[in-house]
Amino acid sequence: MKHLTILYDAKCAMCRRIRVWLSQQRAFVPLIFVPLQDEHLEERFPGVGKLNPAEELIAIADTGQIWRGVNGWIMTLWALREYRNWSLRMSHPLLKPFARSICHGVSQNRLRLSHWLFGHSADAAAKLLAQPECKDGSCVR
Amino acid sequence: MDELIFFCRTLSVFTETLGTTETQTKHTMNYTIAHHLLYLALSVVTTVWVASTLHKHGRIFLVDAFHGNEKLADSVNHLLVVGFYLINVGFVVFAVKYGDKPTELASLLESLGTKVGCVLLILGVMHFLNIYVFNQMRKNAIIHNAPPPVEPDGYVARR
Repeated sequence: MKHLTILYDAKCAMCRRIRVWLSQQRAFVPLIFVPLQDEHLEERFPGVGKLNPAEELIAIADTGQIWRGVNGWIMTLWALREYRNWSLRMSHPLLKPFARSICHGVSQNRLRLSHWLFGHSADAAAKLLAQPECKDGSCVR
Repeated sequence: MDELIFFCRTLSVFTETLGTTETQTKHTMNYTIAHHLLYLALSVVTTVWVASTLHKHGRIFLVDAFHGNEKLADSVNHLLVVGFYLINVGFVVFAVKYGDKPTELASLLESLGTKVGCVLLILGVMHFLNIYVFNQMRKNAIIHNAPPPVEPDGYVARR
């Protein structure tokens, strides 16, 4: 695996912050971030729409494998030098159900959490994202 | 006359006492030297034994930790053993002057037991520390080479 693409929600302030944090970590496998609002998403990753990227985090390897939800999080941590041991722990059958429910809960309530934690509204981010020079979501921090 | 006899006796007792003190001091000296020599011999032999055990059986951990790079593993193994010798022999030599000075065989054995026991305990702690270091290196290597822990949920056609 040469790199891992992470689909994230650029409308959610918390997701953008997590993205910045992840990109600052030392990695075994470099991470590439693509907002799920990207117009060419389906062209770049044919068939990814079937997995509902708007519902949960999705990780896509350059070799074609897709991981969704808790598995996507486990793969994201697996790619990082300092947190690979955490991904191995999280994938343990005893811990995985808890990790799954936490990841699911956070993904489902990400906009509400963003609003509580950072006071950002999704509409403002959507307006920014709609600007032509902000296709990759980098201007929405 | 009685006074003369008394004087002679006192003198002889005095010289006798003097003689005994001298021999006793000599004995004490001998015990102390025997104690030091025995202590050094026992401690150094044990250190050599533990170091050679570590060197022999720690190698496989290190080869695993360095992804099968035997040259690097041997080099690190040798350096670790050198550090082990320096610390242990250093401690043994440093501790020679501490403890009771034996005056008889029984106290020699007791003092020897205390000091060699102390060295053995420190060797034990060092030994487990070394194993911990070996294992930590191996664990890092395992994490570094770990395959993805979860199966993919789907596949996307490659562009």
